[in-house]
Amino acid sequence: MTTKEDYAREKKVKVSVTDLTKCYDELLVLDDINFDIYDGEMLCIVGPTGCGKTTFLNTLARFIPATKGEILVDGVPSNPRCHNIAFVFQEISSVPWLSVEDNIRFGLKIKKLPADEIERRVEAMLELVGLKPFRRNFPQELSSSMEQRVVIARNFALNPDLLLMDEPYGQLDIKLRYYLEDELIRIWNELKSTVLFVTHNIEEAVYLGQRILVLSNKPAKIKEEIIVDLPRPRKFDDPAFVKIREHVTESIRWW
Amino acid sequence: MSTAAILKKNSKLFLPVLSMSIFLAIWQVLHWIIGGEFLPSPYQVYLEAMRMFSIKIGGNSVWMHIYYSLRRVILAYLLGAATGLPLGMYMGWNRTFDKVVKPVFEVLRPIPPIAWIPIAILWFGIGEGPKIFICYVGAFVIFVLNSYTGMRYTDPLLIAAARTYGATRRQQLFNVAIPASMPSVFAGVQNALSMSWMCVLAAELVGAREGVGYLIIQGMDMYKPPMIMVGMIIIGIIGASLAVILRRFERVVCPWRRDLT
Amino acid sequence: MAQRPNIKIECRNVSKSFVTEQYTINVLDDISLQVEENEFLVVLGPGQSGKTTLLNCMAGIIMPDAGQILLDGKTITGPGPDRGVVFQQYALFPWKTVMDNVSFGLYIKGVGKSKRNEVAQKYIDLVGLQGFETSYPHQLSGGMKQRVGLARAWANGPEVLLMDEPFGALDAQTRYAMEKETLSIWEKDKRTVVFVTNNVEEAIYLGDRVIVLSCMPGRIKSQYPIDIPKPREYTDPRFLEMRRKISDDTELSL
Repeated sequence: MTTKEDYAREKKVKVSVTDLTKCYDELLVLDDINFDIYDGEMLCIVGPTGCGKTTFLNTLARFIPATKGEILVDGVPSNPRCHNIAFVFQEISSVPWLSVEDNIRFGLKIKKLPADEIERRVEAMLELVGLKPFRRNFPQELSSSMEQRVVIARNFALNPDLLLMDEPYGQLDIKLRYYLEDELIRIWNELKSTVLFVTHNIEEAVYLGQRILVLSNKPAKIKEEIIVDLPRPRKFDDPAFVKIREHVTESIRWW
Repeated sequence: MSTAAILKKNSKLFLPVLSMSIFLAIWQVLHWIIGGEFLPSPYQVYLEAMRMFSIKIGGNSVWMHIYYSLRRVILAYLLGAATGLPLGMYMGWNRTFDKVVKPVFEVLRPIPPIAWIPIAILWFGIGEGPKIFICYVGAFVIFVLNSYTGMRYTDPLLIAAARTYGATRRQQLFNVAIPASMPSVFAGVQNALSMSWMCVLAAELVGAREGVGYLIIQGMDMYKPPMIMVGMIIIGIIGASLAVILRRFERVVCPWRRDLT
Repeated sequence: MAQRPNIKIECRNVSKSFVTEQYTINVLDDISLQVEENEFLVVLGPGQSGKTTLLNCMAGIIMPDAGQILLDGKTITGPGPDRGVVFQQYALFPWKTVMDNVSFGLYIKGVGKSKRNEVAQKYIDLVGLQGFETSYPHQLSGGMKQRVGLARAWANGPEVLLMDEPFGALDAQTRYAMEKETLSIWEKDKRTVVFVTNNVEEAIYLGDRVIVLSCMPGRIKSQYPIDIPKPREYTDPRFLEMRRKISDDTELSL
């Protein structure tokens, strides 16, 4: 079992979160959260239902202002103008009036990248997610799994400093989930991006994450940090997998 | 307490008061720019209002005029509800009936209530009749449309659910479709009232001896712009008050509508 | 000699297609199955496998193109209180309180107010919603809404309970809690259940028998009796073995 020190040894800190606190009037939702995200890491966050995971993500992405605390990206306070934080929502957020390839171009155009760079990335992403034959189709013409892949391609094309994913596979059937999770891992391996994946599904967290942070119930604090050093591809019936899964389940249960 | 804190505490009152003050200020400035004959100042209108409320115009006090207008509206409105709601609901519920009635309705609908004035006078003479009829037409169309939409677009899942409990067609109608169409009906209830109120003014402008429309005509005949404006302001205030009353009423009748609270 | 089991509800050669201008989809293709009395049957299938269509046919909400569905040996012709349905989108009546929702079926049957409130209360307590009798659906969370849905269907005393991916819209942890609760209610108030889902774990946790449907055309691919005693543990080795077997057998619908 890898210890936290061993795990952090070879890694560079990409994002550093200190004393993150969020209050809505009297209600304390996030309470003094401190943690680091390492460069190229796949980090999963789990917690009991209603613990404030979505507030946590929204604060991290700067959609809502934090009451207190600091978020540093590469040592500099997080700034949407120079930092690239991409967000994949729970609801599929593909742009309905743009074709698949235009959807992928969309984010790149907003970031004002040079035209040939944009084309190069669009081609690469279409190839990577296997949507090349569907490049001119519109999202409504595709199944929901394909739509979700368009969103993922769009986000990864930006080469984000940090990719935040809020339970993007929640409503899909389980075999499809496994397939998309495998695809996510494949793309993540290729591009070496830093990913923060929030989910309610403990098994998904153990399947995907190199490290899992368990949040406590409201007001949310980091309850536990668990290193998952299983080889990939991981198997849900592997005794070591099961052991970690049970450990995380126990950890969430006792708030 | 700091100014900011005091402001925050009374914020519900503060913003409307602020916007009213800005409105009055702009009015005053325009009065200076445009000139007294075309646009009386807020103060002149206020004085005129005080005068009007203390005398009788055309044999009736201002309150009586308001009463006459309101009476016409409410009668027409209730008639419109009593005829329009059942018709619209039945059209929405029964496809065959819908197919038969719809074409006729679609042709009559775009005719504005005002266009009915001449024929209303022909049918009902000059008196209460045409005025109530005009308001009725306005309200009726809205009641039909809204109850129809509410009924037609009842969530089919809820009807399916009721069927699985063995509800007969009649039970589905009264226990699911009608309650489900209430929000749409209520939107209609509010719109129909605004429409009726607007129609009564139009009807009164064409030959009336009492009513708020009559006040405005008097103001025009006597060349008293402040009087016209007082009439308009009365219309606005009553229209707004009616809307508020209805919204309160809806909150009581439809407590499950979270978007109202 | 074992007693011949009593068949509660059965499908005989049920087929259903959806026809458009460009193509015809065989959503259900010659499905035949039998459900024993008080059996908890799970129908498992991926996204577009027609399992909801099958359930809707059994509920009588839609009619099959071919074949019949029989309840206690009699062909069904439409929906009715003998087959209760729990919907994925809850289908609660938003203008009714929890109590009125749960007692709806009894109200339609013409049961008197005090009697139906008494029965409804029993089921409200059973799903753990005591104290919420006068709440409206919009005031409840997803999990609570579905508990009302469960109570409503159960309170009407149907012969068969048809559940259409009832926990599909809930998050993973609430889902586990609801599965546990469904099982405990079923143990206390045994009934024939046909439960439709796309989640293998859920299928194995709940079902006495799991039927796997294939996708387009929708056919019965395989059947798995689950012999693990209830209540089951998701991480029990036998459970995981079953899960591996069934998972490998289900199709992937992209």
